[in-house]
Amino acid sequence: MSALLRAELFKQRSTRTALGLFGVMLGLVLFAVLLHGLGVASENADSAREQLTIVLGPGERIGALFAGLLGAMSMTAEIRHGTIRPTFLVTPWRGRVVAAKVCASILIGAGFGLVAGAATAAAGTAAFWGRGIDVQLDGGDYVLLVAGTAAAASLWAAIGVGVGALVRNQVPALIGLCAWLLFVEGLLVGDVADISSIGRYAPGAAAAAITGQDPGTLLAPAVGLVLLALYAGAAAAAGAFATSRRDVA
Amino acid sequence: MSATERAASKSADDRAGSPLVPGDAGSRDPVVRVSSLTKRYGEVVAVDDVTFSLAAGTVTGFLGPNGAGKTTTLRVLLGLAEPTGGEALVFGRRYRELDQPVQRIGAVLESNDFHPGRSGRDHLRTLALAAEIAPRRVEEVLALVEIEAVADRRVKTYSLGMRQRLGLAGALLGNPDLLVLDEPANGLDPVGVRWLRTFLRRFAEGGGAVLVASHVLAEVAQAVDRVVVIDRGRLAANAALDELTGGGRTLEDAYLELTGGEMS
Repeated sequence: MSALLRAELFKQRSTRTALGLFGVMLGLVLFAVLLHGLGVASENADSAREQLTIVLGPGERIGALFAGLLGAMSMTAEIRHGTIRPTFLVTPWRGRVVAAKVCASILIGAGFGLVAGAATAAAGTAAFWGRGIDVQLDGGDYVLLVAGTAAAASLWAAIGVGVGALVRNQVPALIGLCAWLLFVEGLLVGDVADISSIGRYAPGAAAAAITGQDPGTLLAPAVGLVLLALYAGAAAAAGAFATSRRDVA
Repeated sequence: MSATERAASKSADDRAGSPLVPGDAGSRDPVVRVSSLTKRYGEVVAVDDVTFSLAAGTVTGFLGPNGAGKTTTLRVLLGLAEPTGGEALVFGRRYRELDQPVQRIGAVLESNDFHPGRSGRDHLRTLALAAEIAPRRVEEVLALVEIEAVADRRVKTYSLGMRQRLGLAGALLGNPDLLVLDEPANGLDPVGVRWLRTFLRRFAEGGGAVLVASHVLAEVAQAVDRVVVIDRGRLAANAALDELTGGGRTLEDAYLELTGGEMS
């Protein structure tokens, strides 16, 4: 198993894909958080809840999304380029290959999330200072933001592996993840209260909950963490099962 | 020690009648045994009740028109697809039941199964890591297929011939006893084709077995001992090369007769 994990980590290091995703993620996090921080009306950013949810929340979401894309591509890029064939010739026990991809993606996804969380905290705080808005967040809020984004991204990376293994085709898998996290989830946890009561159990909302966003509407951080871990486990198991059962083209 | 060297020492053991290596279970079985193999995709029967086997020390050409079921047969043999009926065994077992499959079988199914942005050396390293093969072996196989000079270049810069050699290097990583190759000469220049033919002959002379699917009949005729022909999913011939040819009849004549002579 550790040999397979080393192989999967080396696959990620030996192309520019992961580094490219990381760079785009970091740029988007800084851009989105600065834009929200500089653009938000100051009366909409004078509480900890608003600062965390409106200004810093987009950073968490981008971190989780890019970790999900990384996880999905660990499957779909192999299928797209045909390396899945040599991979399964070396390791015909396909469930183990998917498990190794999940572990590798969780590790790298945690790194993505840690950086996304830290960049979010830095950019948001800089924007508040620049505008003379009092920062209402304390040390605990920042720790929860950074650690929570790391946890959210690592679990979304595992979800991505599962989605990639189920969908197989790279473009639909990546578009599906983007559409879900950036669009569908926004509708589910919108201003309509009766939708939010269900929408807060969605995987993107659970990820946001881990960082302490929108308390009251979203779940408590620990509950969000457990729920997202269940989603990740289910997605990874479904991906491993499907990959073991289906013929390789 | 190279694959051919190792294979040569195995062969010497065989000639001396020495006992089998302990733990080398399955050595008494045919290298490949395909029995009544059938594979259906919905209504389409890709492989229909095909039976053949391969012995050690032989190079077997696997021929048939496009869509005849060659690649499907190979995919089932290599554990990538499940048979609908019958079985395909390597060294007496299903591929997935082998302990370290790449140490028994090296296979190349497509000439371009590489990430374009990864170097040739790194491609081999990913396989070596997963198979727990020493990094030194990566350098050995790079030298064996003579692509050390381009090993650090990204595969997207490789010619088709370089990709064929890199694929073969991957198949040789585990020092296998059986090579399964689909169109390995495609894209090789004349020097490369001769090099490949010589390589495969030496591999078989050293006790290894080779199953090579190809459309290049003139090339096949120069390289193989036996020929398995399938047509529309069914076995059309399974014979020694000289049973099919001779008396002015070429492999191409025999092949066209067996497969209905239609252009494919």
